[in-house]
Amino acid sequence: MKILVCVKRVPITGGKIVLTDDEQEIRTLHLGFAISPHEECAVEEAVRIVEAGGGEVVVLTVGPAEAEEQLRDSMAIGADRGILIRTDGTEWDPQATAAAIVDAVRAEGGFDLILFGNESADAGNYQVGIRVAAALGLPVVTGLKKIEAGEGRVRCERDAGGARDVYEAPLPAVLTVLEGLNLPRYPSVPGRLRAKSKPLAVLEPARPASKLEKLRLVLPAGQGKQAEILGEGAAAAPRVVEVMQQLGVA
Amino acid sequence: MLFGRRALFLAGLVRNARPTDRSGDTPARARNEAVDVLGQRTLLQRAIPGLMHAFIFYGFIVLFPTILMAMIAAVDAHATLPWLGHQGWYMALVDVFVILVLVGVATAVVIRAVFRPRRFAGSHRAEAYVILGLIALVVLTLLCWHASLIAAGLNEWPAGDSFLSNALAKAFPSGDTAERVFVWAHLCTVFAFLVYLPYSKHLHIGVAAVNVWFGRTRARGRLEPLRFDLPDDQLRFGVATAADLTWKQVLDGFSCTECGRCQDVCPANATGKLLSPKLLIMGERDQVFAQSDAPIAGNGVPEEMIWDCVTCGACVEACPVSIEHVDHIVDLRRQLVMVDSKFPAEAEPMLRDVERSANPWGKPQTERAAWAAEVGVRILEPGDPAPEVLYWVGCAASFDERARASAESTAKLLQAAGVDFAILGPREACTGDPARRMGNEYVFQGYAEQNVATLNEAGVTKIVASCPHCFNTLANEYPDFGGRYEVMHHTELLAELVRDGRLNPSRDAKPITYHDSCYLARHNDVRSAPRELVAAVGEPVEMRRHGKQTFCCGAGGAHMWMEERGRPINVERAREAAETGAGTLAVACPFCTVMLDDGVREAGAELRVADVSTLLAESLDSGGH
Amino acid sequence: MSVLLYVEPNDELSLQALTLARGLGDVRAVALEGAYQPAAWAAALADAAQGADAIVAAGSDRGNELLAHVAARLDQPFAANVTTVDGDVVTRVRWGGSLLEEARLHGSPRILSVAPHTQPAAEPIQVETLTAADDGSPRVLERVEESTGGVSLRDAKVVVSGGRGVGSAEGFAIIEELAGLLGAAVGCSRVVTSAGWRPHTDQVGQTGTKISADLYVACGISGATQHIAGAKGAKKILAINNDPEAPILASADYAVIGDLHEIVPAISAELRKARGT
Repeated sequence: MKILVCVKRVPITGGKIVLTDDEQEIRTLHLGFAISPHEECAVEEAVRIVEAGGGEVVVLTVGPAEAEEQLRDSMAIGADRGILIRTDGTEWDPQATAAAIVDAVRAEGGFDLILFGNESADAGNYQVGIRVAAALGLPVVTGLKKIEAGEGRVRCERDAGGARDVYEAPLPAVLTVLEGLNLPRYPSVPGRLRAKSKPLAVLEPARPASKLEKLRLVLPAGQGKQAEILGEGAAAAPRVVEVMQQLGVA
Repeated sequence: MLFGRRALFLAGLVRNARPTDRSGDTPARARNEAVDVLGQRTLLQRAIPGLMHAFIFYGFIVLFPTILMAMIAAVDAHATLPWLGHQGWYMALVDVFVILVLVGVATAVVIRAVFRPRRFAGSHRAEAYVILGLIALVVLTLLCWHASLIAAGLNEWPAGDSFLSNALAKAFPSGDTAERVFVWAHLCTVFAFLVYLPYSKHLHIGVAAVNVWFGRTRARGRLEPLRFDLPDDQLRFGVATAADLTWKQVLDGFSCTECGRCQDVCPANATGKLLSPKLLIMGERDQVFAQSDAPIAGNGVPEEMIWDCVTCGACVEACPVSIEHVDHIVDLRRQLVMVDSKFPAEAEPMLRDVERSANPWGKPQTERAAWAAEVGVRILEPGDPAPEVLYWVGCAASFDERARASAESTAKLLQAAGVDFAILGPREACTGDPARRMGNEYVFQGYAEQNVATLNEAGVTKIVASCPHCFNTLANEYPDFGGRYEVMHHTELLAELVRDGRLNPSRDAKPITYHDSCYLARHNDVRSAPRELVAAVGEPVEMRRHGKQTFCCGAGGAHMWMEERGRPINVERAREAAETGAGTLAVACPFCTVMLDDGVREAGAELRVADVSTLLAESLDSGGH
Repeated sequence: MSVLLYVEPNDELSLQALTLARGLGDVRAVALEGAYQPAAWAAALADAAQGADAIVAAGSDRGNELLAHVAARLDQPFAANVTTVDGDVVTRVRWGGSLLEEARLHGSPRILSVAPHTQPAAEPIQVETLTAADDGSPRVLERVEESTGGVSLRDAKVVVSGGRGVGSAEGFAIIEELAGLLGAAVGCSRVVTSAGWRPHTDQVGQTGTKISADLYVACGISGATQHIAGAKGAKKILAINNDPEAPILASADYAVIGDLHEIVPAISAELRKARGT
């Protein structure tokens, strides 16, 4: 099976977000980066499917040159090669991102499955996977917690309240997944060393016009709530229970 | 000949093992030989077993020429070694040592049979008795041979000098036969022993002295780096099978006498974990003898043992034959972590956090210097001139609320003393110690290279660190990556400042007990500086296990991030501290601070746990200057 | 302006979306019946939206999914999880709520979903039911019940949650004890699931479950933005933490400073005392 997984490089923000002076980006100096959590699970799933049934995993990202790091990390756990659609470092809106991915898919061809995270941790636009599927005329199922790839079909599940809704789609198909699908493996060092020399193609398409045009980023008001300190240590327990009773939960 | 074949086989195992560099530093090696082998220093740490062994050891040396004499005499009863064979004083010495050896053997038997110390659990008991029996037989046949020589009038030395043989001679017939019988009995026993030797743990008599020579003479806290830039077939990721061991590690296995001293001092073993350093070395050795292809972890050494270790080094310190158990354990971990990805799941977030967020807490580096703003500490920006001293704060003091106190105190003290210092702030990445001790050498080296580049670009020459793990890595391990700096632990610098009069603490008579951190006291011999500081602010009182014999707090070997089975090590140590009757437990390490604070609470003890720097800073506030 | 609003029956988030939609213009509320088939339902919505100036839905899983399909179909931009609209400029949610983005929607109709719990619920209005023609795209085949014992995290009125500070899987016993006394669900932070102490189904966070409890008790959780994103739906947050500087305190209504291993059992004991058990 030939599987494409699309990932995004996101900063690890920790407890507080600080913006750049021009309010266009998060200040990322001294921050670490990772693959957005949902698609980290997508890469793991793709590798598992190919380990079980043969095939190839290609990992793709739309991002700055540094995003190669995320592609190499994916290769370290088993992706076979990477495609970097290199931007100028500015963020592309969902339509532009989807269009660039569609071009790359059409240029390559032959994918049985295209996996996305349901939404990226940072921008959270919820739409790139669906747009790519629509443009390619492929069936798409989103928000998946379980995937079973079979002969020419895929059976998948997503949460619905306390139950699971089951879908099926013929291949080729687009699937978007959620963290919890699996527990991504820890990369081995031989895997990392091999990843350094796996093939990486770099594409540099022109940036299309932005129809969802980012004007600026704003920190929400109400940060820095003043928590009422109910006490210190076990001695605070009576006050805590009092508050719980006031809230009607105790 | 049998001996020779086996010896060649064993030598082959050593020769075919992986390489490692133990060259250089000859004077120190010679000193170790003199002190530990000739002087039996480590063994004598336990008086009675030490004396027991000393008697037998010196006995072997003194009695060795008698074997040659026996071999000569076997051919010609009238011949003996030139000169020595005629020396009455020598024969007297022989008699004395026959007695001492027998006393030693008897003592050993009594210890094993009557007292049955725990450290022998798992050791080959039957083998030990066979060896003791053979030793006794060797000296008894020697004695009888000498006695029969005297009885037959064949002695080449004045009979009266060898008082014991002479006295015993009266019981022997005056003919030649007895002498022939006993010289051959003696030689047969010796040869039997010789054959048995390389098949048993008594092999140590040939190998131990060699192992001591090749032991670490300096930078004991340094682990040997791996190289990742080699062609595939030369890459080594630690130890998977017996074939991956270095020759020093193979020699370690051959030197092990199963004495169990390491097991006795191991904090994991003392608190009910599976780990016994002795059984680990023995298990590995068995795999070497069997030339097994199977992974050592899980065959010969249970995986659980490998993770129980806190890398405190008490085992290495206690071993009389310079076995370096910690190296073995970390090498086994390296394979499990870097190749098999098989390690305690709860440590995975720490490894990912170190790699992605540059600190094991996974907190953003942008907040690393948040504590410093309130104290007014200078943060070294790129391009700034280097300070006289760079204060390496460490991840724990930067991000853990209990460890932070030591950073604040140290900074205030350095300011009070007028030291020109700065911190790197967000540019200070984890030294990589937790990843390295966990076995992830690859992630560690990434940070070693990054930090060395930062420090070298900034022109840093002198570093003070308040965490012993940072201190150990910066001082002993970063030179392997191009980072050579003068590194001090904060207690060393603070003690210097007090001695120079730049800090003047005031003392009160309250009893303080000081807990030696493993990475300070044992791996790096820093024991007196913190004690100077404690004595300057209070009344020091020692725990039983202190200095080089200190008992770990339980956080080493990445255990700060791993779950602990069995009884908690930190509670054990907290109880020991409480037993001193002191009201304050002084520490010099952020891990010890957190672990012992938890331990004190769980033990229900009335002890305040505080870093030495905090105690010093408080004493300045209250009257010192 | 005419607004097409997609609603789910008996759904509070849809009523919140209705409030925002009303602020844009005249609302025509539609729902769809039958087995859920996203692409087909979106086609029906797109047809129904002919002539509308805006298409709005709640920022729920289905709302976002349907509007993304509609937007792809109409080749128009779609802004998900919007908090305010001012002409063609929207303010939308990033990082699960820890950051906002102001963006201009260059498109017609304006397609946007409403960020949950940012609008008050409106009074229900008349809803038109549409039917979607089956277009062969993936649809729900069956629903499999899950045998998860205990209270569902998403619906729980109270959630007691543990983070790195709990220390081990066994450490969660005191969390479970308190949860049991309060009839609460047990939650955890992402570090805990990565460490293998609790399953991902217990994870509260941006990539886990977003809760809407009356009270969220966060024990030994430092408060990374991705965690707060999952917790802020709670009406009140009580943080129990050793560190008075922990980020979670900036999002909490109440806090107790100290060791959770002492505090949590003490609260349980106090509850038992108060109930006379």
